[in-house]
Amino acid sequence: MTDEQGTSGAVLVVGGGISGLTAALETAEVGNDVFLVEKGPSLGGRVAQLNQYFPKLCPPSCGLEINFRRLKDNRKIRTYTMTTVKSVTGGPGNYEVTLITEPRYVNSNCTACGDCTAACPDEIANEFNFGMNNCKAVYLPHEMAFPRRYIVKKSALSAAGAAAIKAACKYDAIDLEMQPETLTIKVASIIWATGWVPYEPTKMENLKFGQSKAIVTNMMIERMAAPNGPTGGKIVRPGDNKAIESIAFVQCAGSRDENHLEYCSHICCMATFKQMSYVREQYPNAKIYVFYIDLRTPGKYEKFREVRMADANASFIKGKVADIILEADGGVTVVAENALTAEKISQKVDMAVLATGMQPSLGLQGAPAELKLDASGFVISDFDKAMISAGCAKKAADVVTCTQSSTAAALKAIQVSRR
Amino acid sequence: MIVQPDLEFIRSLKAAGGDTLKKCFQCATCSVMCPLSKEGKPFPRKEMIWAQWGIKEKLVTDPDVFLCHQCGDCTANCPRGAKPGDVLSAIRAYAYTFYGWPAPLAKLASSAKGLPILIGLPVVVIFIMWLLSGAMRFPTPTEFASHGYQQFFGTWDFRWYAKNIFFIVLIMVPSLGLGLFSAFKGIYTMWKTMCEDAGLNREYRPAIVPFIQDFIWPSLIEIVKHTRFRECKTNINRVQGHLPLMLAFIGLFIVTCWSLLKNDVLGLFWHSLHGPLPLSDPFKLLANVSAIALLFGIGVLWSNRKKAECELNTQPTFYDWFLIWEITAVGVTGLGAELLRWAGMPILGYIVYFLHLVAIMMLFLYLPYTKFAHLLYRTAAYAFEKYRQSAFGKNI
Repeated sequence: MTDEQGTSGAVLVVGGGISGLTAALETAEVGNDVFLVEKGPSLGGRVAQLNQYFPKLCPPSCGLEINFRRLKDNRKIRTYTMTTVKSVTGGPGNYEVTLITEPRYVNSNCTACGDCTAACPDEIANEFNFGMNNCKAVYLPHEMAFPRRYIVKKSALSAAGAAAIKAACKYDAIDLEMQPETLTIKVASIIWATGWVPYEPTKMENLKFGQSKAIVTNMMIERMAAPNGPTGGKIVRPGDNKAIESIAFVQCAGSRDENHLEYCSHICCMATFKQMSYVREQYPNAKIYVFYIDLRTPGKYEKFREVRMADANASFIKGKVADIILEADGGVTVVAENALTAEKISQKVDMAVLATGMQPSLGLQGAPAELKLDASGFVISDFDKAMISAGCAKKAADVVTCTQSSTAAALKAIQVSRR
Repeated sequence: MIVQPDLEFIRSLKAAGGDTLKKCFQCATCSVMCPLSKEGKPFPRKEMIWAQWGIKEKLVTDPDVFLCHQCGDCTANCPRGAKPGDVLSAIRAYAYTFYGWPAPLAKLASSAKGLPILIGLPVVVIFIMWLLSGAMRFPTPTEFASHGYQQFFGTWDFRWYAKNIFFIVLIMVPSLGLGLFSAFKGIYTMWKTMCEDAGLNREYRPAIVPFIQDFIWPSLIEIVKHTRFRECKTNINRVQGHLPLMLAFIGLFIVTCWSLLKNDVLGLFWHSLHGPLPLSDPFKLLANVSAIALLFGIGVLWSNRKKAECELNTQPTFYDWFLIWEITAVGVTGLGAELLRWAGMPILGYIVYFLHLVAIMMLFLYLPYTKFAHLLYRTAAYAFEKYRQSAFGKNI
């Protein structure tokens, strides 16, 4: 689409999570052409990994499915998975963007029948489940993956494995010779919906993540609680599968901390309250301890907090866990000072959940274009340059806020394309 | 409770290196990170909020403030850069001024503005003494070689009490006396309030001897061994400076006592004992080793402080540097005077020796108001902690 000034009215949306999907759909449904690129093999981003999400505690299939449906029906959106932005040249209204698509080693013949996976002898750690279980080296990213197409992790594939999966595929869909492809597109504006990654928990040395199976992250709890997760929805201690009698939630693990993420990640308090419900459903008598600095449950979420805090078997301790001691029986002891009573508390628990925060993806990997990032790596929108941020690339936020900011970003992007 | 914040107090904390205290959001990471913070009564989180609120009454009588060794483990792990270690140091600085008597002198010793008077006072006093003594002249090289600095204030015929000693005692004893009296007064008040705060019955208390045996002596042993200092992680290399420095002070204390005994008691009967010690004398050896240890120790502390200012962004404060300067001055002038004696340079030697006396008088006179006071206040806090945990700490 080219308007009278010779500019392209197309919009590039970088990132195919809930924010990118929303921005792409809102833009396309107004009538603009949209390129939607996603680094991973399927769309849905972090939301796809959750068991339930706010505000209504829906399973992710609920919100994502309808968006996938809208996407399928909309001929104005072109979707590229396994694709990243390599470079951006030109100016607002007239950007030339080079995209690079990594090989999936599975072509469009794939019908997702699963014969290759059954035949494959090689296993890899399941990234989608944070390595809590293994999957085959040829796999469907996850149950709800869209586009519904398999992917090969070639580096983990043995020669025998390669032969086996090729032989197993009836549709000649496996193509291990596939090469990275470069594509150049012209767009008027770019929406950055590059999302977030869970903050690396091993960076908090005092919290000893990785030294005991009893120390997990909040995102790992989401996967465990999910019916399609590594434990089939059962929250147990990884390693020995022990049922949970006591559990500690370690709030602000790496957030609000100059040495880690200096900002509040916004969602961890609510995530913990939500996960308290998962635990309570499965273990009616388990002791729950929440160690916090402040409980941040804005607006209508106050009600949600009140309900969880009324739980007789849950204790709330105002004090950050600054040390975790590994115990011989596989459990851990978390240590904090209760600031309200000025006493030092050492609480032995079966499992400790680190409520790790959100780190903006671009803060970690750097921006592929001339983007304004703040000190933490969040993208600062520059409307004059038609570089617009949305969702968690803009700020740490819950899903509702993300979809709102994505709709807003779509409007801004359209405005630039019609200038 | 209605809190009346003492703004003057908060301002003085900020000036003494506690400028970051308002950043604290009470997450209590520090109390867990602190290797010296005990199970029952963790610190420094509670001190941070008291300081933010300006409740100085609680802080100046809080033994935990003095039990802190400024390891820096809390500061290194603080998520807000509130530097609890530096704030507690600033609270100690305030406490020394708070307890200091006479108050104007204590106030003078608390800021760099007082420096001209702080140095000028001993310079004038010692110079006047020198004039009064009537010595008032530089010795000939021969005199210098035989007497060294032992006739700095001249000599007289009264053999039972040397003139030089008379003047040195006249200068140093009142200086140290005032320092010790002021510190005693401060510690007495502090101890009394600490007992009240802890709800201890002061009627039920030990006699002097068991008190020293059970509380003071074990504290001293712990201090000499640097047991707690060694638990620090972030600033652990301060031990390498503080330990030789402390041993040097002990060594020089022994040498001073011996020299007094030898010259002024034994010397009365055996005249040959007068005069500077030969290099081979074990006490001279101890003196020289101590002097070198002192300079080495203060050198390490000096560079550590500089490093902390660069790496941990510790604020340079008069409180910290004044003591480092004082001790460096004592070491440099002391060793310098000795070297000049060997070199046979009487005039320069006498000037350096004069400065040495000035440095020592400063150390004594300002003992209870400067960072040097930690050696008394911290020992008292150690003893109080043991006292509180003993049978005397139980309310019967």
